[in-house]
Amino acid sequence: MATILAAIDEGGANTLLGDALASIPTLSKSGSGSLGPFTAGYSVQGTFAGGTVDLIAPSTVRIEHLRFNWQMTLSFGIDLDDFLPHFCLPQVCVDIPCVGHVCTPKICVSWPTIGVSVPFGDFVEATADFGIDVSLSGGQWKVQILVQNLSQLQFGPATAGILVLIGAAITPLLLAIPFIGPFLAVAVDLILAAIGVAGLTGFLGPILSPFLSGLKIPVYQQDKHFKFLPASGPVDPDVFIELDAVSAQIQHSDEDELVLSVDISP
Amino acid sequence: MSLTGTSEVFASIDEDALNDILQAFFNARPHYRRYGSPAFVPVTTVSETAIPAIAFPGIPGGIDWRISFTTPVVDLFEQTQPLPPGMTLKPGQFSLHTDVELCVNCIARKDTRSDAAGARASRTKPRPDHVVCTKLGVFGIGHLDVWNSPNGDGAVRLRVDSVELVDIQPDSLETVLECVIKMILDGILSRIELPLKALRAGAFELIVTEGPEIEHNHIQAFGNV
Repeated sequence: MATILAAIDEGGANTLLGDALASIPTLSKSGSGSLGPFTAGYSVQGTFAGGTVDLIAPSTVRIEHLRFNWQMTLSFGIDLDDFLPHFCLPQVCVDIPCVGHVCTPKICVSWPTIGVSVPFGDFVEATADFGIDVSLSGGQWKVQILVQNLSQLQFGPATAGILVLIGAAITPLLLAIPFIGPFLAVAVDLILAAIGVAGLTGFLGPILSPFLSGLKIPVYQQDKHFKFLPASGPVDPDVFIELDAVSAQIQHSDEDELVLSVDISP
Repeated sequence: MSLTGTSEVFASIDEDALNDILQAFFNARPHYRRYGSPAFVPVTTVSETAIPAIAFPGIPGGIDWRISFTTPVVDLFEQTQPLPPGMTLKPGQFSLHTDVELCVNCIARKDTRSDAAGARASRTKPRPDHVVCTKLGVFGIGHLDVWNSPNGDGAVRLRVDSVELVDIQPDSLETVLECVIKMILDGILSRIELPLKALRAGAFELIVTEGPEIEHNHIQAFGNV
């Protein structure tokens, strides 16, 4: 068997995977979800950073403190109808001589919906266990690690302040409503307080978790028809070897290493 | 014992894989192992390299010759391939075996001036009319010539230190032929740089801190990311 071996230890893997994480382009998505009684639209984007690699034989790459730095814009529509009583001026009918029976229309007061956008950002961290995936597709060998198990998300310290930011954005708008504004502001603040950090992380968790749980980090990618020397003139064409088989595993001895084995032929 | 040792990255290629790479190289660029003067190879192509005839007074156009080698088979220390008596493989060395074919265009000349003039004319379009050849088995011993740079580039060359031809008499002829073939074989192999990228199949770029060196039937290198 004609074999090429390449191995990298945890220190090297930290650098390699750190670079690979940094090279992942900004990820984004948008949607809507429920934050307490509010329905909020969101647009979120973020990038990966940090993490400490732990290689675990025979096939687990653990990254502790895997960090996702995110920025989100939350768009609320606060429907005052949800807070204020509905009331209508009833229809009134009178008989007017020479005119007849005259009725006023029923008039209902419709409270407006107050829209507000709140941008904020923080990070989440988790410990992720990755499995090793080796595939040959489209004439290209690819070794990547895929998340198999993700710990509970740990939110950064700024997350706790997000409710305050939301309250600070909404309150001035509510205060501007004549007569009842202050009461509405107090009501919304009470609702936000009731939502609390637990409710907020319950809202953010399902939004942010897929970014981490769907993470794939490339480790090795080469054409099966591997060009090891480029053409250097009319009589010196490209030179190729065939990468017939690729395997990857974590080997444990006096240290843990990610070992790539490549069988070749001319 | 870990593969990486005190380094971050380790890369190695075994002798079978090295021979596959050499075979791929010579298959793609056979002109590196086939050479001929104008009667044999008028112009360099992918298949053959044109070289001058051996100039000699009184031989119009010189002596046309051709030399070609089979793709060498390399054995990295420790020795696993047979070697002729007197040749031993030491740590850090490789051996190789190849067959060399040496041919000469042996033109017969006549004594008349007109024939001499005709011979000159014919040399303007040299042809291999009277080719005589010999084929010899060649064993060689050599070492790696390596270079690498801080940006991760680097390459390995096989350099031939000595060759051995078997069963040629007299010994002085064997010595002369060994000298010539050693120079030619080393000249050929010294032009072939195998990039470190090939020796690690493109995996885990590394800044070499140790090697590449021959160890336990492999060429191996250590480095950092």
